[in-house]
Amino acid sequence: MFPDRQPRSFLDPGVLSRLAGLPLMARRPMQGSVSGRHPSPHRGSSVEFSEYRKYVPGDDLRRLDWRAFGRSDRYFVKEFEADTNLRCCLVVDTSGSMGYGSTPLNKLEYAKRLAGTIGHLAVRQGDAVGLACVAGGVVRNIPPRRNPAHLLSVFDVLDEIKPKGETQLPPILHELAETIRQRALIVVISDLFVDPAELRSAFQHLRFRRHDLAIFHLLDPKEVRFDFHRPMRFLDMEGGPAIFAEPNEIADRYRKALDQYLDAMRDAVRESAVDYHQVGLDQDYEQVLLQFLIGRTRTKGVR
Amino acid sequence: MNFLHPALLLALPLMALPIIIHLINQRRYQTVQWGAMMFLLAANRMSRGYARLRQWLIMAFRMAAIAALIFALSRPLAGGWLGLSAGGRTDTTIILLDRSPSMEQQGQGREGGESKLQTARRQLAQTLGVLGSNRWVLIESGTNQAKALESAQDLNGPNGPNGLSSASDLPAMLEAARKLVQAERAGRTEVWIVSDLRRNDWKPDDVRWRTIREAFLGFPQGVRFHLLAYPRQASSNLAIRVSNVRRQTGDSNDLLVSLRIDREGGDPSARQTVPVQFEIGGARSELSVELTGPRFELKEHRIPLAADQKRGWGKVSIPADSNEADNTYYFAFDQPAPRKAIVVAEDSQVAQALSLVASVSPDPALTCSAEVVSPDLLNSVEWNSASLVLWQGPLPQDEAAEHVRTALARGCRVLFFPPASPGTEEFAGVRWGAWTERQDGVAVETWRGDQDLLANTQNGSALPVGELQVRRWCGLSGEFTHLATLNGGDPLLARVATNGGGAYFCTTTPTYSDSSLATQGVAFYVLIQRAQAAGAEALETTRQWNAGPLASTSTSSDNDQPWTRLAGGDEAISTDYSFHAGVYSSGDRLLAVNRPPEEDGAPVLDSDQVAGLFQGLDYSRVDDQEGNVASLIQEIWRVFLLAMMVSLLVEAALCMPRPVPRTAEGHS
Repeated sequence: MFPDRQPRSFLDPGVLSRLAGLPLMARRPMQGSVSGRHPSPHRGSSVEFSEYRKYVPGDDLRRLDWRAFGRSDRYFVKEFEADTNLRCCLVVDTSGSMGYGSTPLNKLEYAKRLAGTIGHLAVRQGDAVGLACVAGGVVRNIPPRRNPAHLLSVFDVLDEIKPKGETQLPPILHELAETIRQRALIVVISDLFVDPAELRSAFQHLRFRRHDLAIFHLLDPKEVRFDFHRPMRFLDMEGGPAIFAEPNEIADRYRKALDQYLDAMRDAVRESAVDYHQVGLDQDYEQVLLQFLIGRTRTKGVR
Repeated sequence: MNFLHPALLLALPLMALPIIIHLINQRRYQTVQWGAMMFLLAANRMSRGYARLRQWLIMAFRMAAIAALIFALSRPLAGGWLGLSAGGRTDTTIILLDRSPSMEQQGQGREGGESKLQTARRQLAQTLGVLGSNRWVLIESGTNQAKALESAQDLNGPNGPNGLSSASDLPAMLEAARKLVQAERAGRTEVWIVSDLRRNDWKPDDVRWRTIREAFLGFPQGVRFHLLAYPRQASSNLAIRVSNVRRQTGDSNDLLVSLRIDREGGDPSARQTVPVQFEIGGARSELSVELTGPRFELKEHRIPLAADQKRGWGKVSIPADSNEADNTYYFAFDQPAPRKAIVVAEDSQVAQALSLVASVSPDPALTCSAEVVSPDLLNSVEWNSASLVLWQGPLPQDEAAEHVRTALARGCRVLFFPPASPGTEEFAGVRWGAWTERQDGVAVETWRGDQDLLANTQNGSALPVGELQVRRWCGLSGEFTHLATLNGGDPLLARVATNGGGAYFCTTTPTYSDSSLATQGVAFYVLIQRAQAAGAEALETTRQWNAGPLASTSTSSDNDQPWTRLAGGDEAISTDYSFHAGVYSSGDRLLAVNRPPEEDGAPVLDSDQVAGLFQGLDYSRVDDQEGNVASLIQEIWRVFLLAMMVSLLVEAALCMPRPVPRTAEGHS
């Protein structure tokens, strides 16, 4: 599965092998280019019956149901569901704030592990995988391909990316919604430090374009607890102005602002039917992915 | 508020410690790379109302805790002694204690039976004990002597100062304090005056006040005055006083006692029955008198004596009331001493007239005699038994003068008349001048009707001095007091102050050619008899006098013999007998000591008058009440310690982190 046999820091063979038994399912029909394991909006030649339809001239006579003709003396064509592959577009936030981490892994490293593993699982089941690294704009963009060699270039990019620049996620998501032509599974891995209202608009745009959107919202435990005890000077990792604060004085309001933000984010993802996962960096990413995959299996998309 | 250690208040700037620590803490910040800036910015934009208030409150309570600690260490005092502390410990504390009989006034009802003096002693002992001093000096009324105390507690000890029957002399006590401060060069001095502000004790019109004020103002170390006043007058108090005691001989042997009861406070017109108890030689009798006004007078109440009793002592008393010090009055009685006049005259007519006037007794019980002596035979005269010397002629010189001076010192009265030919002789700084003659006669223009020999009669009528006609009179030069003045300003009768009795100078003679003294003899007779009576007092074996120091109330003969107490309180030591009411014997004399008459019903000085006496001085006053059990001052450091603990508790409560209702992890 590793064509170049080159070990990647963000891939753990053990995790890959344990997750290999679980399919990566789309929650809605996909428009793939080849046959796959995902439902397609079109009729096809799978074994799963879909419906009867009246024969119209030009239909393939081989698909006439003669038994129905014998019973009703009318011509019916028997149709079956079509299965196809999906295009999985991994959107990884590489802004400066992704470099923060109070745990052994910072947010970008964690994001690489999630993205690499999901990419590997997708290619393994024949789906196409692409990668968009975004910060102030789209830093790197690799369109989805389904051959394993393409996966190497995705891994290479993941290897190279560094946290830098400010976050401009909403316009980038709008851009991606327009540029990814067909229905696709878009996996966004970010700390989402942007206005939830702007994100909501981007989510709805992606939904309108019939993309299946999954979000891994990465938060460091320190960012949640804000358990500082001494006066601190906070330097903005995205280049903004520094803030001097007395944690004892500001902690309450910080937590209040965080709660308000998370509430707004929860509303936004609920209204936009986003497959949302809030992930703490102290959580095991294998467990996170396991829940993600199982969840998607349960909510396997209807045609 | 006052503090025992006000210097510690200099540590109050330590209150700023929490602020300084806060500022230092802020400078010891850490720098951290941070991603979630949007929440910090949002937190900064949020209303800081409560959070900021909480921070301010925490800071305020920390500062309050430090302030309370400093205040507690400074030992704050609560009480009415405004302006009490001037910082640091007092070097010398001088206590002036008014022990006059009016200070024995007791509280009524709920206030208990403590007198003003007892309350003042207790309060002072407690208050001064708290305030502390390097040295304690007590100046008691009566002796006006400075006495060092071991501690303030001695004031309230068993041997502490007790009440006297004598009046106080506040100016003299302050003068003693001034001398003490001046002599000992004391450091920071506090003078505590305890008094009930009676006018007779304070003598606000006394010229000494000005001198004292200026002297204290001149002290560089500064002297602070504190007045603990007990100005409340009794709601109802009776004071009894014997105005006269005399024996009546004849068919029966009786004692005639005249007394007076004064009522202070209450309704002056209320009807009140008072049982008056007489006690003479252990025999008691009682008489109920009815008061209908502020004063009741009983004239010559007759008390029978044993037939052979000629001398003795007794007391009158009334039931206990607000002030026990004025409920008893002592008296002593004896046969009146014979009055003997020595007439020395160069003119026989004058000698005859003088002898006649001096030897006619106003009372059959009295024996009056006059002995005419030639100037050459003065040595043969028994001077010790003389009550009056009438001298007409050149002023005595040499040995004769010595005899006269001795008699004067003993209490005898001497009345000089001018010689026919005035010389240059001088006696007691006075000498005769030239004769002046007016055939038509000169009347007396003014005379002292309020006191001395020409005083008005007991019923207030003036003596007929104005009817006298003086045709010849002799000039007088020297230092003397006018008792009667002729038209034109020349003296008719003058008095020269001496240590014992009185020396009088009459500038004319009783002969017809000189004056109408003999022909209109009423005034002359009264003058001579009064002089003789005053002189006879020194010969009396009983004396009635006002409590006070011996030197000012008695003649030298009273000091010759030690005193033995016959009646009265037993709290006095023998040297202080003259200050305590009672009956004492000294040799063959009986001495009845009582409170001075001005002690009864003396008015209380108002605040402005007292403040005026201390004008310009560092002075504070607090009024207390007899029987008051509440402390004048008390230490309240415990309150501040409690305040400090409360402040720390509140600060701790405010510092406690608020419980977080939900954690962000719970949302995933």
